[in-house]
Amino acid sequence: MNALLDIATIVLILAGAIVALIAAVGVVLLRDARSAMHAATKPATLSILLIGCGAVLQLDSLSTVSKLAVIVALQFVTAPVGAHMLARGITSDTDSSDDTYD
Amino acid sequence: MKISLVISLSILLAAAALTTSRAIRRGTIGERAVAVDALTAIITCGLLTATALTGDAWFLDLALVLGLLAFLTSVTVARFIERRGL
Repeated sequence: MNALLDIATIVLILAGAIVALIAAVGVVLLRDARSAMHAATKPATLSILLIGCGAVLQLDSLSTVSKLAVIVALQFVTAPVGAHMLARGITSDTDSSDDTYD
Repeated sequence: MKISLVISLSILLAAAALTTSRAIRRGTIGERAVAVDALTAIITCGLLTATALTGDAWFLDLALVLGLLAFLTSVTVARFIERRGL
């Protein structure tokens, strides 16, 4: 039973970490801000859900589990809203979006 | 168990390094804000992995505060870009 939980934790956390790495590669490779946002908004929900599900299997006290649930729920509420506001801010000035500050 | 979680942490560290380099090196303010947004998500993932690795609950407090601050950051930067047109 315990070994089974360990294996599930390992699989979920490794999957979440690999999703985060792929998203980071996308953030580096995609040049436009909105293209980069396509890659950047994936780990904010999917990775955190996978890693949270993996971590919750290793916790034993109810207070810790509920705190982790609050973190994942908060991330699910705030990350899309923040990304949406950022996208609206970026789109509102498409004229100046091609000059870069190196 | 421990070794694979450490491997996951190093994968997350590589991802964080990539997004940090994107945020520092080039781009408009919007692109940098997108990279910082992804960076905070990856740091939260790392804190949750550390919780699974050590069993310490105080990593979760850090993750909670970081999630709130990340939301405030992206909203503030978005309002700033919208107002100033940067």
